[in-house]
Amino acid sequence: MREMRLSQLPPSGKVFCTLFLAGIGCGALAAFTQAATAVGVSPAAVRDSLAPEAPMTDLHHGQMSAEKEIDVSQISDTAKVFIRTPLLIQTSHTHLFGQTLIAGLLALIFLFSSVGERSKCVIGALPFAGTLIDIGGMWATRFVSPSLSVLVTAGGTLFALGYVAIAVLSIYDLWFRKEHPV
Amino acid sequence: MSMRIALLLGSTVLSGLASMPARAHITPPVVLASDREAVVRLLPAATRYFVREVRPSPAEQNAIRQQTGWNADDDFYRFYVGRTAEGALVAATVFLSEFTLHGPLRVAVAVGPDGKVTGASVVEVTEESYTWVKPVLDSGFLQRFVGRDARSAPAQTGDVGGSMPRFYADVIARLVARAATLYEVTMPPK
Repeated sequence: MREMRLSQLPPSGKVFCTLFLAGIGCGALAAFTQAATAVGVSPAAVRDSLAPEAPMTDLHHGQMSAEKEIDVSQISDTAKVFIRTPLLIQTSHTHLFGQTLIAGLLALIFLFSSVGERSKCVIGALPFAGTLIDIGGMWATRFVSPSLSVLVTAGGTLFALGYVAIAVLSIYDLWFRKEHPV
Repeated sequence: MSMRIALLLGSTVLSGLASMPARAHITPPVVLASDREAVVRLLPAATRYFVREVRPSPAEQNAIRQQTGWNADDDFYRFYVGRTAEGALVAATVFLSEFTLHGPLRVAVAVGPDGKVTGASVVEVTEESYTWVKPVLDSGFLQRFVGRDARSAPAQTGDVGGSMPRFYADVIARLVARAATLYEVTMPPK
């Protein structure tokens, strides 16, 4: 990245990069709000939506049926979305494509920042890693152990941290670092 | 990195974005009723509530498949059973989903002791499919299932206006038929 820096971009390049970062930031906030309202962002909420439904009765493995009396208050009254396998497949493919492409564009801008190569590698990789941990965590919660729902929250947090770091450092370079335009 | 390489990389990523099939994206869910609301609404005469969880045997799964074409391969299915104070069965409500191109559609179906549907309710759609499901619901389509059992002919959907509302009317009809069949096969009248 010796030949071009964000601070050396012409004004049009600076404006476009800034608008892209701002747009992705707004999109991330909207996505967070949607996730928080539809599913929840805590590991417990993720587990409730993703983990295989546990029997309410004492239906054991190999047992054909079981019945027990309940109070109506034991029936879920929350407008929660239950993510079953077909929806998990749909969600995975759209988010893996979408988030990886966003991570790629963020990394592309960040390539031209002035931070050191090692920091660039670590920070630029955060949104990619976050995406894989987030979506991988959904599958792990469903098919390995409900306790792995913590991965979904961790992955989302990692993506957000990566985005914030890239956006802050890039915008600093774009508008506040003093260098001569190329 | 030269400007030329940067532009090349940028255009490659952007062309990848542009080629993503927009139709594959699922719009956010719209929950029309919670499970509790649906159960209470569909079992109005019940004063006591029970949960009955059934695990269809291979023979039962086969019977369901032959009757509806549906693979009832979940680990178990849960019926919310409504009874009177004396313990007489009022009806049992089961929730079933189908995943369409536009996301899931989930219905609650109540089946009486005689195996006939006593009511049905759509509880979850998506923002996109809601525009097609709403006119179906507004037309009173769900009332057509009341009194039908698993062996009744499925509700006619030919008079539902528009291809997409008709598509979703068919989805709802299939789910109701599956629920009635699941009840008939796994909870036979005693």
